[in-house]
Amino acid sequence: MLLNEMIIDENNIAFIPSLGSSFELNESAKRVIELLKEGQSKEEIVQTLSKEYHKRWEDIYIDVEDFLQKLKIYGLIQ
Amino acid sequence: MKYQKPTINRIDFALASKYGSPLRSQKIKSSIDGVSVNELVKEFGSPLFVFSQKTIEEKYNEFFEAFSSRYPKVQFWWSYKTNYLDAICKLFHKLGSKAEVVSEFEYQKARHLGVEGKDIIFNGPYKPKKALLQAVKEGAKIHIDHLYEINDLEEIASELNIEIPVAIRCNMDTGIYPQWSRFGFNIDNNEAYNAIKRIYEGKKLILTGLHAHIGTFMLTANAYAKETQKLIKLKNKVEQDFGFEIEYIDIGGGFASKNRLKGVYQAPEVVVPSANEYAEAIVNAIYENNKGALPELYLETGRALIDEAGYLLSSVFASKRMPDGKKNYIIDAGVNLLYTNFWYNFEIFLDKRYDGLSEPSQINGPLCMNIDIIAPNIMLPALERGSVLTIWPVGAYNITQSMQFIRYRPNIVLIDKEKNVHLMKKSENLDTIIENELIPQFLQ
Ligand SMILES: Cc1ncc(COP(=O)(O)O)c(C=O)c1O
Repeated sequence: MLLNEMIIDENNIAFIPSLGSSFELNESAKRVIELLKEGQSKEEIVQTLSKEYHKRWEDIYIDVEDFLQKLKIYGLIQ
Repeated sequence: MKYQKPTINRIDFALASKYGSPLRSQKIKSSIDGVSVNELVKEFGSPLFVFSQKTIEEKYNEFFEAFSSRYPKVQFWWSYKTNYLDAICKLFHKLGSKAEVVSEFEYQKARHLGVEGKDIIFNGPYKPKKALLQAVKEGAKIHIDHLYEINDLEEIASELNIEIPVAIRCNMDTGIYPQWSRFGFNIDNNEAYNAIKRIYEGKKLILTGLHAHIGTFMLTANAYAKETQKLIKLKNKVEQDFGFEIEYIDIGGGFASKNRLKGVYQAPEVVVPSANEYAEAIVNAIYENNKGALPELYLETGRALIDEAGYLLSSVFASKRMPDGKKNYIIDAGVNLLYTNFWYNFEIFLDKRYDGLSEPSQINGPLCMNIDIIAPNIMLPALERGSVLTIWPVGAYNITQSMQFIRYRPNIVLIDKEKNVHLMKKSENLDTIIENELIPQFLQ
């Protein structure tokens, strides 16, 4: 998983050395990537964010699903 | 910490050029003439067409001033087809515009609004005899499109035992493409002159005006200079050859609005001539070429007077991620309400500032048809369900050419200059749509 290589700086600019590509992220994206690196599943990530942000899991689910799809499109996860 | 939808963008400088605007800029319109877009949608539903009295008056005054300050005898004729909502026509008539119609339906609509026949120009290639007869009896200004119409009018003149004052529609090369050569008679190959000779020889009609409409969304004022010059030269010649007194020349409509044509990348402020530039070109051509008495100058300006006064409010219903990575927003207004979407890239405003990163996005309507794309490439921050988008300018041709398709067409409101909101047209419902349908007996 290329995502494991991702280095994120304090301005939320991320870099993948082997691709030579840069990305920009927001805070919650950074959090999802941390959780993915820790090995959490999609369902676990949804539960974690739902608790941390006090939001309905049904709403968070749509956003996480959407975000993971974009990571796949970028080739960062399988 | 405040929640934002997780967002990631690859930093890709090619994107910036495809999506135009800088990645973080947001275009925001939270109110129209001081009335909140969210409140409007709450009260009148979504989607919602909104018109601004203030903008209509500003536009009309701008164009009227531009012409009347240069030329004393100017008359605007509101082009009904551009937007024939009763209230909109009334507004233009109150401002001093008379009516320009192109069908028996539009003629009836003008009469229903209390416009007298003499204050109606009747244009168009299709004027059934019955409609023509009514227009003649009521003294409308009839602009002849073809030789059959000359015959029809001569028959009417005989039946009524009168002489009928008429004008002819002309077309010509003004250096623009496409040339609208389907309507009326061509000046360049003498067809127009020959039609006038035919009218003269028939002895039942009196030529009092010359008309042309050279196209729509004309980005060059020079085309109007050429048009006016050709009309005035024809006027000089037929006055001399046949003794007609041409009271007016009507140069039609076609001035561009501040909309963004597809394929034109400069800002409308750069490419669209001002009212003054159009007026200068037209009026100079009259003064430079006219012999004899100065004619009245008629204008049938449509789009330029109403496009920017119209907005379509629409709400985000859902979103999804497309396989190419683009974000796809589904909104409640489709291309069936936005006929001009086929040649414009509208401005799309957000109702407020949204936190977070913008992403390459696409906006689609609710039509369940692949062509229902309101904006194919637009940078948008993460919008919420119910976020209100304002699509602009949509005041010209969308109301008259909208289609009822799978959903009811929405309410249309007018914001007056005191910020009062008035319903101008109620949304459709099942009854209004099936009103004229019949089920054959054997199916009942
Ligand atoms: C005869 C005639 N007059 C006026 C107009 C109004 O044109 P515009 O809206 O471009 O000003 C049209 C539009 O097609 C037209 O056909």
